[in-house]
Amino acid sequence: MKISEALKVLQSAPRGGEPFEAALVCGFTPLHLETLLGARLQQRLSGRRIVIAKGLFGDTAGTLESLRGARPHAAALVLEWQDLDPRLGFRGAGAWSPAAVADIVTSATRMLDRIGAAVEQLDPGVPIACCLPTLPLPPLFHVPGWQAPEARLLLDRELNGFALRVVRRPGATLADASRLAQDSPPGSRFDLKSELSSGLPYTLPHADAVAATLALLLAPPEPKKGLVTDLDDTLWHGLVGEIGPENVAWDLDSHHSLHGLYQKLLASFADEGVLIAVASKNDARTAAGALARPDILLPPGKIYPLEVHWNPKSGSVGRILQAWNIGAGSVVFVDDSPMELAEVEAAHPGIECALFPKNDPAACHALLRRLRDWFGKPRIAGEDALRLESIRQGAAFREVESGSAAEAFLRLADATMTIDYGASQLDPRTLELVNKTNQFNLNGARYTEGDWRRRLADPNAILAAVNYQDKFGPLGKIAVLAGLVRGDEIHVDVWVMSCRAFSRRIEHRCLLSLFERHDAREIVFDFRASPKNGPLQEFFESLTGSRASGPLRLTRTQFEEKRPVLYHNVIVTDSTP
Amino acid sequence: MSAIATRLTACFQTVFPTLPEAQIASASQASVAAWDSTASILLVNVIEDEFGFEMDFDRLADLDTFERVHDYVVEQVGAR
Repeated sequence: MKISEALKVLQSAPRGGEPFEAALVCGFTPLHLETLLGARLQQRLSGRRIVIAKGLFGDTAGTLESLRGARPHAAALVLEWQDLDPRLGFRGAGAWSPAAVADIVTSATRMLDRIGAAVEQLDPGVPIACCLPTLPLPPLFHVPGWQAPEARLLLDRELNGFALRVVRRPGATLADASRLAQDSPPGSRFDLKSELSSGLPYTLPHADAVAATLALLLAPPEPKKGLVTDLDDTLWHGLVGEIGPENVAWDLDSHHSLHGLYQKLLASFADEGVLIAVASKNDARTAAGALARPDILLPPGKIYPLEVHWNPKSGSVGRILQAWNIGAGSVVFVDDSPMELAEVEAAHPGIECALFPKNDPAACHALLRRLRDWFGKPRIAGEDALRLESIRQGAAFREVESGSAAEAFLRLADATMTIDYGASQLDPRTLELVNKTNQFNLNGARYTEGDWRRRLADPNAILAAVNYQDKFGPLGKIAVLAGLVRGDEIHVDVWVMSCRAFSRRIEHRCLLSLFERHDAREIVFDFRASPKNGPLQEFFESLTGSRASGPLRLTRTQFEEKRPVLYHNVIVTDSTP
Repeated sequence: MSAIATRLTACFQTVFPTLPEAQIASASQASVAAWDSTASILLVNVIEDEFGFEMDFDRLADLDTFERVHDYVVEQVGAR
């Protein structure tokens, strides 16, 4: 991004947008880094107005310490060597003599300890993204440049210790050095002229690469939820219908291990809670033969559903989306045929389509990395492991539900809801659910971690996190409801429920529990109809008798008159620490 | 207005979005509060992008009015 583009992005911020205050902590003159970080954050948080606050030149630790007790929405810490000791930079007059090296390492160690302590003392609600030194050290060591000096190794060891200390703080993330090296080659990062004349040591492209990385760490994209893969020449090499299940290949010996790597990555995704399905034009029994081979790296148990037949793939993908109950925008489709990709893309706008480059190892490596970026998530929650199983159970649930009297079915489902009104505010899954749910979502509002902690700090704030299980198995944490209590009114401005939990009257039980717990007369919902939240619109219509498009009120009397019989066992907890 | 003056005006608008276009031709560091050292460096960068040459940092202190920046740009563009 050029500076002129960055300025235009910043000027495009909505005038009335809620401010997003980010503290930029660095010891050099941030100049373009400040502009570019603002612009990159603005691109990621387009509804907000980015405000960057910066600290004092040459005092990284002091700037961080001054943030103690402050509540910016986020902080970005950009360290360079001179922040650890001015003699490691180019602007100080301190000696580069061999005699000084040991002292430099000692003082850098002390400074890292001070900075680490300052990071730990930040308000826990302030997410912080850190970037360790990215520039070359000055030529102060006695060895030639191609030899690693011992002092450098000692500095690296201290930095690694610091990095571990920082990332163990909740809400802290660290820029990946090797990824940054791909985006910004080390040889083209340092601008000595700019460093000496203005105090900014970065070339413009490097400043942009650092800014883009920090923005991704502070405002990460929502991970994709599902991957639909082709089989022939994608999951394995060869056409299974022509050469037989025993002759398709994915291993090193057959020189087709690109497919094996792809299988390994998909298996890893499945273990992390990503949904994996197959859409293939093939004979189902023949394909099943290859999937059942004992040497396959993506076991068929990790795949659901399988759409293997000769009909168009757009239809297969449509049925898979229906089975998963997620939108096309959360899904990636991988196939070796550009034609199939185009057909699916046309039928399912928003889906990410990726070509499997079966004969190009470099392109395949790039695809695997791109897939990791799409599906990568900062942490794996217990619910991730439950997702595939609960979708399978959901299909069984719908089958049973449609085949018998729904009322009797629900009565015998042996459902238990655990409603936690307390500490789940500290559970990352709660915010994750709020930010990724579309269909049953009160208003589509998204929150940063800082926003979320800030709103829950209100003494009148309420939060309910709901876990569910029935005889078909556990669904994990599937609903979140939050708002404020004002007298005998409850104002709810966050309400989401996973689509895996539909048709179980969980939404009715949530409201009943809320009315009862607060002895409330009325609930006011900050509802906004959207093209995606149809299920919630229908739910409200069933209670109020009319379609709402904006905020609405529901009295307890209204609710009691319209609600169906509820069969759940309910356990209410309050795990506030 | 010359083509260079028009392009330079656009550069100033990018860096000083609240400055009315009519005031740009007479703009100076003394008259534009937002024109500080940081804005000067941003302006240099935007002008370098627009005109495709590298500005001399040593001349930066002298380039304190639109007119002087304009003359400098004309000089540089003419010299290429």
